[in-house]
Amino acid sequence: MKRPFHAGEVVRTMTDYVVRITRLSYTYPDGTKALEGIDLDVPVGERIAIVGPSGAGKSTLLLHLNGILTGTGSVKIMGSNLEQSNLQEIRKQVGLLFQDPNDQLFCPTVFEDVAFGPLNLSVPAAEIPRRVEKALNDAGLDQSIRSRSSHHLSLGERRRVSLAAVLAMEPAILGMDEPTSNLDPRNRRHLIEVVSGLKATLIIATHDLELVLDVCSRTVLMDQGKIWADGRARDMLANAELMEKHGLEVPLSLRSGVRSN
Amino acid sequence: MRHNFIDRYSALDSPLHVLEARTKILAFTGLIVAVLCIPVHSGVLFFVYFFATAILMGISQVPLGYIVGRTLFILPFIVLASLAVPWHGLTEIGVLFIRAVLCLMLLILLTNTTRFIELMRGLRKFGFPQILVMNLSFLYRYLFVLTEEAMRMKQARDCRRVARAPFRKELRILSSMLGTLLIRSFERAERMHSAMLSRGYSGDFPVVSPRRFSWHDLAFLCGVAVFITLTFWLRKT
Repeated sequence: MKRPFHAGEVVRTMTDYVVRITRLSYTYPDGTKALEGIDLDVPVGERIAIVGPSGAGKSTLLLHLNGILTGTGSVKIMGSNLEQSNLQEIRKQVGLLFQDPNDQLFCPTVFEDVAFGPLNLSVPAAEIPRRVEKALNDAGLDQSIRSRSSHHLSLGERRRVSLAAVLAMEPAILGMDEPTSNLDPRNRRHLIEVVSGLKATLIIATHDLELVLDVCSRTVLMDQGKIWADGRARDMLANAELMEKHGLEVPLSLRSGVRSN
Repeated sequence: MRHNFIDRYSALDSPLHVLEARTKILAFTGLIVAVLCIPVHSGVLFFVYFFATAILMGISQVPLGYIVGRTLFILPFIVLASLAVPWHGLTEIGVLFIRAVLCLMLLILLTNTTRFIELMRGLRKFGFPQILVMNLSFLYRYLFVLTEEAMRMKQARDCRRVARAPFRKELRILSSMLGTLLIRSFERAERMHSAMLSRGYSGDFPVVSPRRFSWHDLAFLCGVAVFITLTFWLRKT
């Protein structure tokens, strides 16, 4: 580890990049090329969407943010190169929300699940209940949920508990994989509101383009392991030719003749 | 879907529930060992232990019907087991049967007065291997996920077949379903591991417990110890 992290460093100047990915490539053990020469810089506080068809490499890219997968090329988080020696430090800074909450919630009760991260970070036991309380609040959940078991929760609740479990670690960067998939409209709306209120730098991989328009200022278009476009969300999503070429479509609210407010 | 837990009533607040997990593990293990040590021809002692178990049940506020129901559910296995031992006479079989029922009731009482996570934590504090305890708690959590996955697969199979196939073919379908389930579980385990690593997991599974070892625990332990010693001492004299 070259130098220790300090939470205070997160907000130095607006030009600071919290994530710098250069020439990142990754091939799965079975030979599938998942990422090919990815370059991506994310300034602090930005909300960035990664869109693209299924199998484009979005999830794989997210798993590189905290070293679950390591490809060739370099990944810099908060100025430090991601290496085997500083993985624990990096994982304090980068929270990942997985697509299936059942993978993420492995403890008998919600409380234990939300407390799992902070306990691993050696947060003092006396401070744990406060952390859990705050994380549940931030994720838009009622405190009464803490003693319930995750297999008794609805998908919407489980998704938000997973989010709380990640928020409890107070990450500076938050990567989310399909946060709104399979949710009914009310739960989806609720989750979007919660996500909009977060302070962390957000990197959201999703097919939900209305979510992108609501939450993200910038969009990156991925297909076949490469980045094809990177720019303002509204402009890119309105580009019908580009969208269709990569298996997507212009969101309803941006189509001509349909007015949204 | 609603599930029936092995620790369904563990969230109650009876005098037994508030005890620390280690106290209960020790006390119940003691009682079970004592039950196993009761000589065959001392019928009175069995009654004494049944009575003690009944008192514990009363204190625990766990519904009697639930404990009896659970015991009845496992009873066929006990009957099978007692038939499997070499024949020594009806008394021996009967004693074996009574012992098993007593032990079962005590175990059901233990798991329903202690939250599963605290039980695991208690075992951990007694020096049980971390990996074993962790796997038990994952089993507890994922049994339901696995059951649901299996049920969905069964539904999908039933939707696509019109009639029962020949036995051999049925068997082949079943085996490929089991195989798929295994692979899916394996993949889930990998994703889970990633999720754990992402939240700073480094080989140690930390838990917090609100319960502390108090004088209640000491009193309970002493009570159980005195009871066991007394029963066996009285029998000798």
